[in-house]
Amino acid sequence: MRLYLFAISLLLFTSCGKDDKDEASLFPKLPDYFPSPVYPLNENPITQDGFVLGKDLFNDPLLSSDNSVACSNCHVKAVAFTDPQHALSLGVNERSGIRNAPPIVNMAFMKEFMWDGGVVHLDFVPPNAIENPLEMDEKMAHVVAKLNRHSSYPGRFKKVFPTMDTITSPLLLKALAQFQLMLVSQASKYDKVRQGKSEFTATEARGYETYKQKCASCHTEPLFSNQQFFNNGLDTQFADEGRARITESALDLGKFKVPSLRNVVITAPYMHDGRFKDLNAVLEHYNNGVKYSATLAAQLQSGAKPGIALSVSEKADLIAFLSTLTDYELISDPRF
Amino acid sequence: MKSIIKLFTLLTLVTFFSCDKDEPATTGSMEVEFDNIAIVNGIQQQLTMATPGSATYGYTNSLGQKFNINLLRYYISAIELEATDGKVYKDVLEATASGTKGYYLIDESKPASQVIELANLPSGKYNKITFTVGVDSTGVLNGATGGALDPATSKMFWNWNSGYIALKFEGQSDASNGGVSGAETITADNAKGMAYHIGGWKNIPGTAFVYNNKRISFDFDTDAIVDAKSSPHVHMTFDVLGLFNGHHKVDFTGNHNVHKPSDGVDIAHNMEESFSFDHIHQ
Repeated sequence: MRLYLFAISLLLFTSCGKDDKDEASLFPKLPDYFPSPVYPLNENPITQDGFVLGKDLFNDPLLSSDNSVACSNCHVKAVAFTDPQHALSLGVNERSGIRNAPPIVNMAFMKEFMWDGGVVHLDFVPPNAIENPLEMDEKMAHVVAKLNRHSSYPGRFKKVFPTMDTITSPLLLKALAQFQLMLVSQASKYDKVRQGKSEFTATEARGYETYKQKCASCHTEPLFSNQQFFNNGLDTQFADEGRARITESALDLGKFKVPSLRNVVITAPYMHDGRFKDLNAVLEHYNNGVKYSATLAAQLQSGAKPGIALSVSEKADLIAFLSTLTDYELISDPRF
Repeated sequence: MKSIIKLFTLLTLVTFFSCDKDEPATTGSMEVEFDNIAIVNGIQQQLTMATPGSATYGYTNSLGQKFNINLLRYYISAIELEATDGKVYKDVLEATASGTKGYYLIDESKPASQVIELANLPSGKYNKITFTVGVDSTGVLNGATGGALDPATSKMFWNWNSGYIALKFEGQSDASNGGVSGAETITADNAKGMAYHIGGWKNIPGTAFVYNNKRISFDFDTDAIVDAKSSPHVHMTFDVLGLFNGHHKVDFTGNHNVHKPSDGVDIAHNMEESFSFDHIHQ
């Protein structure tokens, strides 16, 4: 009797309950100080075939109007998936975009995307590049048509999404998401130090202390961004409205999403418009270049003048610490 | 041992109840038709659509500006029907990569899209309908979605500010000074083009986000009787002229290129008042 009831219960549970066994099967195990992913991994379980499909799509210029620009043009693996050359993204026919291509790592943990946070789900990130006339200048419907008449993509999509007979835009976006979700940066020297597997040098340790005092309120550990929007005093007039473009509130003029400092040493140029060519220029901006405006971050107004006072040695220490945030395992991982 | 048996019996029962839908004795269906019309001098007229680029103007707004219509498309979602006994039927809402339920894209160029079939409706006498014009957070925050919400086929999605356009109108007017961007049927060099893309779904108190989706209710004049034998047809109308001639008088000069929530507030208000319940075929 007990066995019988048990069997029925099991049967019902199996037919009714959500199947969690494949959940995030490929998604890496995270250090214990990492947050949980924001992305609902159970709704788009990462499989080997799905991840590789996403990677191939990411590298395929078929996604652009003239088959010349792939996602990877502006998101280069060797520099943590950003563009090492161009201050502003470069699209089809050498068209210049309006913002700097951000590094696309640790996307699984982000609530909002893009410099202005206008995108609210990772799935919706790629169409911004694909359909932007200054970037890939293509239409999603046309990408889908090209994929459906391709020699190998239809079979590969069918293998990843077996219930679907044709490729549709959500499937394209789910596959691209599977690849992007895997780009987790968690193996830098900083992480090894946190896990007791390595030690900071004296300079790095001093830099870490300076960071904690002067940078951490916005570039918060462990993602090194608090994911909020601030005006960091670059301008007094805002050619790019930033966050205000989305919220349509004057209180958000000139605010941009706090970028992560992970891999920051290799992701020049800096700022939403790529105006600073190296980290010295960035630190000097905070030391001596912050301009006052009505929406300037309060964190930059605690001293006698706007900004964050940094001595020459503090700047050198900070750069040494920031260098420990480079994830060489990520950028040399043959899977990516 | 006994307690274990009890536990499993309970589990089994609970599982049964949470799994099985509570099927009513009988079900039927209802069709809800959204008929796009123009009310001219108090008389309902069927819409006449113009070919993109055409300078033939069949309509006039209340400011005397002549215009035509190339494209009209809007979302209806989250339909609820209230029965005379107070019971409320809620149309199931689902948004996944493989498809959608409960989101309907009404497209003037596709007659079949204008009739919504509500199947498996519990038998009853229904006398009130409520629906949302637009797509609320449930439809957006699930990520890339197929079916009626597929961004590639619906062409109703704002990439830069993730979310669905509730209503898209494109056309041309003598009074417009052109320069329309981001339109489907109007080219940037069209000196008379107009594009009104009305959206904004973030309904968050205490923020500046503009919410332009509209939740609208109508009482029926007679009961719509649904049972195994009877499938009523509910006829709703949407007066396109009301978009411009309603509570807010829309001037086509300098206000003809609407692509963000704050610019669409007045037209969203007009849109809400342009829907009507018309009649029921029992």
